[in-house]
Amino acid sequence: MGERPENRVDRIVSGLLHGRRLRLRGGDAEEKEAVVMAARLAAARQGPQRMSPAFRKRLVKQLEAATPPESWMTRRAALVAGLGVVAGAVGGGLLGRALEGSGSQPPATAGHVVRPTNGRWVDVGALADFTPGQARIVKAGAVGAFVTRDGDSVSAVSSICSDLPCELWWDSSQHTLVCPCHNRTFTAQGSSIGTYRLPSLDVVQVRVRDGRVEVLGV
Amino acid sequence: MTSESRPPDPVPEGPEQGQVVELPAASRVADIAIDELEMIYAFIYSRVGNRADAEDLTQQVAMKAIPRLRQGAPASAVRGYLFATARSVLGGFWSTRLGLSESELHDDLAMAMPQAGYSEESVERVRRILEQLSDNYRRVLELRFLHGYSLKEVAVEMRSTVGAVKVMQLRALRAAAKVRLDG
Repeated sequence: MGERPENRVDRIVSGLLHGRRLRLRGGDAEEKEAVVMAARLAAARQGPQRMSPAFRKRLVKQLEAATPPESWMTRRAALVAGLGVVAGAVGGGLLGRALEGSGSQPPATAGHVVRPTNGRWVDVGALADFTPGQARIVKAGAVGAFVTRDGDSVSAVSSICSDLPCELWWDSSQHTLVCPCHNRTFTAQGSSIGTYRLPSLDVVQVRVRDGRVEVLGV
Repeated sequence: MTSESRPPDPVPEGPEQGQVVELPAASRVADIAIDELEMIYAFIYSRVGNRADAEDLTQQVAMKAIPRLRQGAPASAVRGYLFATARSVLGGFWSTRLGLSESELHDDLAMAMPQAGYSEESVERVRRILEQLSDNYRRVLELRFLHGYSLKEVAVEMRSTVGAVKVMQLRALRAAAKVRLDG
C-alpha cells in the first residue's frame, strides 16, 4: 500500500537477481511492462539454460506416471516419426529405428568433408599448443573448426552445428561440443550424442606440418 | 558437394535395413520427450528469468502437451505444438500474476517460434533492445542485470544516489519495454 513504483519494481528486480520466483503483489500490474522486461533481462544475464538433472528426473517420472505404458509406445511412435525416422515398413521391411542405444557412445559417422573452392592451408598454431583430448576452436579464414589433438595427429570438425546455424562451444568438463541453440551435443569427432541423433558435424581437413597445425580454409 | 543442404530435422542413426529393432522401454521414451522439453524449458526461462517458475511452467507444458501428441506428427508439428502450449502456459502465468490479458502480452509471447535457437535468440534480442536505449538507461540496466551490481554499486559507478538509480532503473525498464524490434 502506497509503495512507490520504483521501490515496487526494485523489489521484483532484486528477487529475480537473487534467482527467486516472481512473487507479485496487488498493484504490481501497474508496472507490468517493466516487470516483464525485468524478467527477460534477468534471464539474459544467466544465458542459455538447461533443466537441472533433478528436475529432469522428476519430469520423466511424472510423465511416466501420467500415462499408461502402452501410450508411451504411441507417443514414441509419434515422436520418432516426428523426428524424421521412417517408422513402418518401407519396401520390404525397414522398421522403426532405435533412437538410442544402451547409453554407449554412438558409432562414429563421418559428416561431409568441407572442400572449399580455392581452399588454402591456414596455419592455426603450433601442435604443442593443442592440449591432447581438448577441442580448440580455430579460424581458417571463413572456415571455423574445432581441432582436437590425439598424440601427434589432429582431427577437425566444423564449428557450426549440423542442425541449426549456431556456433558450437567446447565443454571441457564433459568433453563435448555443445550447440547453444538447442543444447545438442557432439563428440570432438563430430558424432551426435543424445536421445536422438543429428547429422554428424562436417569434417574439416587438417594436417600437421613441421610441428604446426594447418587447416584447409578459404 | 559441400553445399549440399541438410534436412532441418534430426536424422537418427539406425540399424541396417531390414534389421528388426526392439522398441525402447518406456523410460527411454520419456527421454525423447524430455529432449524436446529442454528447448521449452530454455524458452520459458528466457521469459520468466528464474528457475523455479521455469520448472513449474515446463512441467505444465509437459503434462498438457505430451499426452496429446498424435502418431505420425512431423517434427515441426511436435515442436510447434510444444511451443504453442508453452506460449499458452506463459500467457496464463503472466495473466495470473499481473492480471494481463493475453492480447496485452501479444508482442512478448505470440512471436513466432525462434528460428535460430530460443535462448540465443533471446539473449541477442535483449542486447538489441539495450542498444536502442539512451546511454544512462542502457548503463543502469547493464550494470544491474548483466553485471549483477547492487543498487549501491550502480550508484557509485554512476556517481548518483541509490534513490535516483532506483528511479532510473524503473524508467529504463519502461523504455526498454517500449522498444520494438523488427523481426
